[in-house]
Amino acid sequence: MLSKPVSRRALLGGVAAGAAGLLFSGCTTQRADGKIEVEIVSYKQEAVSIFEQLMEDFNASHDDIYLNITSPADAVTIMKTRFVREDYPDVIGIGGDADYASFVDSAILADVSDCPTSADVQKAYSDILKSVTYVPMDGIYGVPYVANAAGMLYNKDLFEEHGWTIPETWDELIALFERIQAETPDIHPIYLGYLDTWTILSPWNSITINMVPSDLARQVNAGTAKFADYYREPAERMLQLLDYAEDGPFAYSYNDACTAFARGQSAMYPCGSFAVPQILSVNPDMNIGMFAMPSADDPDDRIVVSGVDLQWCVAETCEHKDAVYEVIAFLNEQANVQTYIDDQRAIPCTEGDFTLDPLFDDIQPFLDEGRVLDYLDHSYQSSMACDAQLQTMLLDGDVDAFLEKWDADWQRYNRSVIRKVQDYESQQ
Amino acid sequence: MAKDNVKERVNWPVTILLVIGLITIVFPLYMAVVIAFKDPSEMTNDIAGILSLPSHWSLDNFIEAIQVTDFFNSFLNSLIITVVAVVASILIHSLAAYAIGRNMDRSRVYKASYYFIIAGMYVPFAILMMPLVKQTAVMHLDNMVGVMILYIVFYMPMNMMLYTGYLRNIPIALEEAARMDGASTWSTYWKVIFPLMKPMHATVAVITGLAVWNDVMTPLVIMGGQGVNTLPLAQMSFQTAFSTNYNLAFASYLLAMLPMIVFYIVAQKQIIGGVTNGAVK
Amino acid sequence: MASTAAIGSNRRKTFMAILIPVLVLFCAFNTIPLITGFLYSFTDSKGYGAFNIVGLQNYIDMFSDTRILNSYLFTFKVAIVATLATNVISLMLAIGLSSKIKFKSALRGVYFVPRILGALVVGYVFSYFFTYIVPAVTGGESILASTEWAWVAIVIVVVWQACAQTTIIYITGLSSVPEDVYEAGALDGATGWDKFRYITFPLIMPSVTTNMVLVMKDMLMVFDQIVSMTSGGPAQSTESISYLIYNNGLSGGQFGYQCANAVIFFILIALVSILQTKFLNSKEEQL
Repeated sequence: MLSKPVSRRALLGGVAAGAAGLLFSGCTTQRADGKIEVEIVSYKQEAVSIFEQLMEDFNASHDDIYLNITSPADAVTIMKTRFVREDYPDVIGIGGDADYASFVDSAILADVSDCPTSADVQKAYSDILKSVTYVPMDGIYGVPYVANAAGMLYNKDLFEEHGWTIPETWDELIALFERIQAETPDIHPIYLGYLDTWTILSPWNSITINMVPSDLARQVNAGTAKFADYYREPAERMLQLLDYAEDGPFAYSYNDACTAFARGQSAMYPCGSFAVPQILSVNPDMNIGMFAMPSADDPDDRIVVSGVDLQWCVAETCEHKDAVYEVIAFLNEQANVQTYIDDQRAIPCTEGDFTLDPLFDDIQPFLDEGRVLDYLDHSYQSSMACDAQLQTMLLDGDVDAFLEKWDADWQRYNRSVIRKVQDYESQQ
Repeated sequence: MAKDNVKERVNWPVTILLVIGLITIVFPLYMAVVIAFKDPSEMTNDIAGILSLPSHWSLDNFIEAIQVTDFFNSFLNSLIITVVAVVASILIHSLAAYAIGRNMDRSRVYKASYYFIIAGMYVPFAILMMPLVKQTAVMHLDNMVGVMILYIVFYMPMNMMLYTGYLRNIPIALEEAARMDGASTWSTYWKVIFPLMKPMHATVAVITGLAVWNDVMTPLVIMGGQGVNTLPLAQMSFQTAFSTNYNLAFASYLLAMLPMIVFYIVAQKQIIGGVTNGAVK
Repeated sequence: MASTAAIGSNRRKTFMAILIPVLVLFCAFNTIPLITGFLYSFTDSKGYGAFNIVGLQNYIDMFSDTRILNSYLFTFKVAIVATLATNVISLMLAIGLSSKIKFKSALRGVYFVPRILGALVVGYVFSYFFTYIVPAVTGGESILASTEWAWVAIVIVVVWQACAQTTIIYITGLSSVPEDVYEAGALDGATGWDKFRYITFPLIMPSVTTNMVLVMKDMLMVFDQIVSMTSGGPAQSTESISYLIYNNGLSGGQFGYQCANAVIFFILIALVSILQTKFLNSKEEQL
């Protein structure tokens, strides 16, 4: 019975105020032993052992702060349910993705401009992070930790064996595809797992990023551009890829594609560094490389897609930011970052002298020069199902319908964002 | 059916048909078992590869799955939740169905209550989820107890429907006889009606038990991230964003399946037992 | 006379004493959160954090959202076909499993297995079946990649899984058919189909009603199999209503909008099942 008045009042109160939550502080207070507890919930379940080790090291060397890192399965759902309970962890470790944008939009995260570690973040990655939020934000809402990258994964041994070389223009790429088809009938140039619609975004991102203005989504939101004017050519290239993949790629899943690539059934796989662990689980000895998708007109303008894979965001409610910043500084110490990137094949976001996994050999120059841009889909509303729209286009080949629907749906699904952007623009 | 009946012969044609039909189940099950024993490096994407036997039979996947899921703790938590939810469902839902079922034809209040509860079956869980997360936290029920209570409520509509349906086949005359002997409604229920519903209890136990045993959503949102896991919660760790270890996952699922099969076979005996008791005189 | 009245009022009190706590429990954890969700349907909430009140905007948007319309068409198509298929197959299985057969326990045990297997296993195994095995036999393409036929794959999998539970309920229903009815039927010379048609079927009609309603409800809420088989594809041809509600509501940040969808969906399926029950109940009385 107790629940009845409580929950109803809570909701009505929330509705009336126009803002639920943020009423109670969820930040942990002092522990019984006098230490301040800093709680981190990370969504990188695959890195759980690294963080357990770092946590142990930290706690052994600090007597005023107790660090507690957890990496539960389906952590983002767990974070959201904790937000509903107004039980905010001090720090959440998430990617620079749609969830991050939505957390910032919900005013859950604190400005961490004053975090000393923020100064060590590479400019390319702080720019990438800035591009994720719906509207340009004045503050900084996360400290980027590591990044991943996407482009074309390739089988180094096969390339070496057949004397294939890395293409630098689209024509060279197609020529390579043709050559592979002619030389080795058993090996597909590429393998696609388009049953899982999200995998379509990988080649889409890497092709398109080279062909459209980097702030296209914001231009559209501000009412100064249309997608239809830019997305035709990338869409046609996506269709072109189908000619060089296995038959009926819409029947095969991400998992099938990883397996096929791992078993040498295809020479290349347009995907990201995040797929490497799955590929290696099938073929642990494989030599995988990655090159930038050569879809720019001028090879010198090629860009690698790279996004913040893990960053530290601090809850708005947190009352002991100093302790939190000390923890972040510790995690970002060069040796600790190196441990992480060795284990997870990640790219560091902070300045420093790091050794990267051989996977990144071919894109190292891009990373060094900061020729990286964020995944385009980070600015797509996930409810708009952009990946499914791409799949529809690839199935029926109707680029016109695709472009028209994309622009129309964009307006619909981004209504509140567009309103915010226009408010923001009018204030400038 | 009855021992002294005329025909006690085995119906071989039906037996044979049923055995042939087993293919539809044994084949997928075979694939699941084979995958559970293979190493990730044995996974291929052609027919021969998937249907072939593992290169060597070892229990490594099962042992690793037990370690990764902290099997015995997770198993115990799942077991506690399932047993409590099932026992409470049988006691509460059958009683509620009795009260409602025996009165809904004569009283509008009971009829309305019946439809009110049944309608609960159609509420998509997704709409209840976030409000329940908040509500259970306020009530300090964001733990195993809360999860159990939610199951008792979630399966109430379906079980209510099953029990009231079954009650229709139990003649009212049976109760009236007991009442004539001076028994109260309460004791009539427990002494006469409750035992008569044994086959339905077994059915409810199986259906509710399985749904609870396999459910991941409720424990995830109500008690996820607190370090207390149920088996399905622990099994989520086989799937990360970009990689799934199917071999370990399948081994783990097969392990989690075994107690349910045993439970089902025991419960089935009750359903058959209920018939031979010949309760409906 | 007086004592009968006393017994009657006692009986009524007992029933009330049972009903009230049950209703309170039910309201607390079903009705109240539902009302809360209903209130959220007038907001642009993501399920957490700050939100605005948008009035009826979500409901207005729904009616011009072709994606939602398609999901309703798809869901009802799958639900109707799958409900009929599941009930026919399950009833046949239940009769078979209730006959005088050899290995009765073992057979009942194995036929129950599909219900126990988790969605991940079922999804993986059947994806494999449709992607590799079926095309190898038929020489065609995988139906999972076909916008026209992918729904059939979903139907096959949901029916395969749903039959187990439905069969049990039919077996239980058959177990309550008094044996003397069979005997009487046998004496009258009713055999085989006639015996089923005129004696068994009318007596298990309550189970038929229950199963039709329960299966229809499960099928209308189809979700797991979609996630593990097609994720709504190809070309959004297999997006069920529940899939949209979960996917866009929780990960997609459209919680308020999908609450509105859930409210409409709830009202719609509650209506469907009331009509269904009324229809089937009228059959019960006729027989």
